[in-house]
Amino acid sequence: MWLLSSRILAALLGGYACTWGITSLGIAGLVFLGVDFHDAEASMFMLAFLCFLGLFLWAFTVTSVTRVWLSLLGSAALMTVAAWLLQRSVLS
Amino acid sequence: MFNSFRLSMTWLHTWFGLVLGFVLMVCFFFGSLSVFDREIDRWSIPQTRFEAQPMPSFDDLLLPIFQQIEPDKANYATQMPRLHDPAKGSMTSRLELPADRFWAYNTHRDPVLAMGVRFSVPTAHSSLKDMRIRGDVVVDPRSGKILPDDALRIGSAWFYPLHYSLNWSWKNLGYWIVGLAGFVMLAALVTGIIMHRKVFREFFTFRPKKRMQRSTLDMHNLTGVLALPFHFFFAFTGLVIFAGSIYLPVTHTLLKPIHDQQHLLEAERAGLPAERSGQPAALASVDAMMEEAKRRWAARDMAGDVGFLVVNHVGDANSFVSIYRAGSDRVALVGEGIHFKGNTGEVLYEEPPRSVVMSTNEFLTGLHLQHFEHWLLRWLYVAGGLMGCVCIATGFVFFVEKRKQQHAKVGGQGSRVVDALAVTTVTGMVIAAIGMLLINRLLPMDLAGKGDYERAAFWGFWLLAMLHAVWRSAAVAQAKPNPAWLEQCLAVSVLACLAVIMNWFSTGDHLIKTVFINTYWPVAGVDISLLVTAAVAWGVARKLAKRKDVNIGEHSVLILGESVRD
Repeated sequence: MWLLSSRILAALLGGYACTWGITSLGIAGLVFLGVDFHDAEASMFMLAFLCFLGLFLWAFTVTSVTRVWLSLLGSAALMTVAAWLLQRSVLS
Repeated sequence: MFNSFRLSMTWLHTWFGLVLGFVLMVCFFFGSLSVFDREIDRWSIPQTRFEAQPMPSFDDLLLPIFQQIEPDKANYATQMPRLHDPAKGSMTSRLELPADRFWAYNTHRDPVLAMGVRFSVPTAHSSLKDMRIRGDVVVDPRSGKILPDDALRIGSAWFYPLHYSLNWSWKNLGYWIVGLAGFVMLAALVTGIIMHRKVFREFFTFRPKKRMQRSTLDMHNLTGVLALPFHFFFAFTGLVIFAGSIYLPVTHTLLKPIHDQQHLLEAERAGLPAERSGQPAALASVDAMMEEAKRRWAARDMAGDVGFLVVNHVGDANSFVSIYRAGSDRVALVGEGIHFKGNTGEVLYEEPPRSVVMSTNEFLTGLHLQHFEHWLLRWLYVAGGLMGCVCIATGFVFFVEKRKQQHAKVGGQGSRVVDALAVTTVTGMVIAAIGMLLINRLLPMDLAGKGDYERAAFWGFWLLAMLHAVWRSAAVAQAKPNPAWLEQCLAVSVLACLAVIMNWFSTGDHLIKTVFINTYWPVAGVDISLLVTAAVAWGVARKLAKRKDVNIGEHSVLILGESVRD
């Protein structure tokens, strides 16, 4: 039961955090590459839910729940920091 | 359970589908009704039953109305104490707030013109200086008369927001629950395909005469697969519509600096003044600006009407007027904005054509929001939405049918609980919606706080249906069908007929009049839909009554006739 709840939470919250990372890195990255801001926003919002869907389903196929948590939260943190750094270089 | 890929996908489909299915039912059903939300408004507010009009003259008709509009009392009472900075002087009284922005919005499906004023607060905190206090009215565009706006617009202000927010605004929780349900819909569609290896063969299989469990599953697969692109598309675009503001507000939090910088750059490019100058100035003729906008649209080979107009920085030398084209002839929403200088009427900025990404996004969200004028497509939307309801409802029934024998053997209550909830969200929801319409026609038009009674009736009917479903569900624990299905179908049938009759009695608009003599499709359409619902519900009740094992009460036999006893 604990493992199951942990897996459901990982799929939803971990998947969401990772999607957040992808979206912010995507928008900051596209703007950095010179893409129009609204285009960057619109394309990442469309991609975001498809990524989330993939991550969510993936979380139920991996045997180890710990691996699911670690990979989702780890990549979420990495991408969010990268997005923040990219934003700094766009603004400066 | 999670050792096999297919089994884990089946688990996901069953349990997430079951739990969020109850929410999805609400989204699909009230989403389907939202296709005709303005028509339901006409039905429920008889004094607005007239034809839609084009945007009226600004100079002669709209401007005098804008000058009469006062800040909303309730909005002033809640916003003013929050915005006011005591260090900047005493609080401005409600009627002395200066108007900052006028707007008017018109659609081809709504005869009533919506317009409003945004008032600025001179003593606002510096960080809140962009916040405005509103004053909104609805107007009869034929006469310019302000209509009383205390009636609840049941279609566009109750059923429509219900399908994306559950009308629960606290902490946006309603939006989040619907968002989760929409996301689970996407997952359920993908896992549903994975579960059925023989999806194509099953698509052409329908065994209505087979056992209940088998035919329900066939129906579930048929409605799920046939309308699969529709279901996927609506769940997906629903999420995209609220992505930037609610579900993924990255550009309002983490990336706010980039967002602000880009908006400043854009404003510079467009050359539209962001602030007031402080110099008063009169407003030139806005009718002339609307004519010029129409001329420019026609020159771009997209002649059209004005759908939305905004006067920014009212009364200031920096004032500018933004005029947008109505999107009734295409999928994407209002757009092609042209901005004019307020005191001279010269064009300041004409928005360039959209980029590929933006037009894709607008096309997708526009397909969901369907502001266009295409009646066949609208009905197809209703059909698709109702197929989604059938798909979810048969999912519930299959869940119960598959388990109730087993649960009855070991004394489990699981299938009983699910069945009671299924009755509540399937027939109970229809009872709530139709019951609300009936109460709307029973209560007098000028009753103070009528909308509150209507809302209470909606939840009251739904609660009654739930209590009834729970009370009657004992049969399910003995592996028998719940008689509440049959009884609530009868209730739907009776309520729907009563609603049509009461519409006739209270307004004189019966179907012969609204279809043949004085044709008015918005009202006729709602009446006909109610009668079709009544007929379908009655047919279902009869069919259910024919089952050998259902324990039907005397009152049901009375309504359905003795023949069901055979």
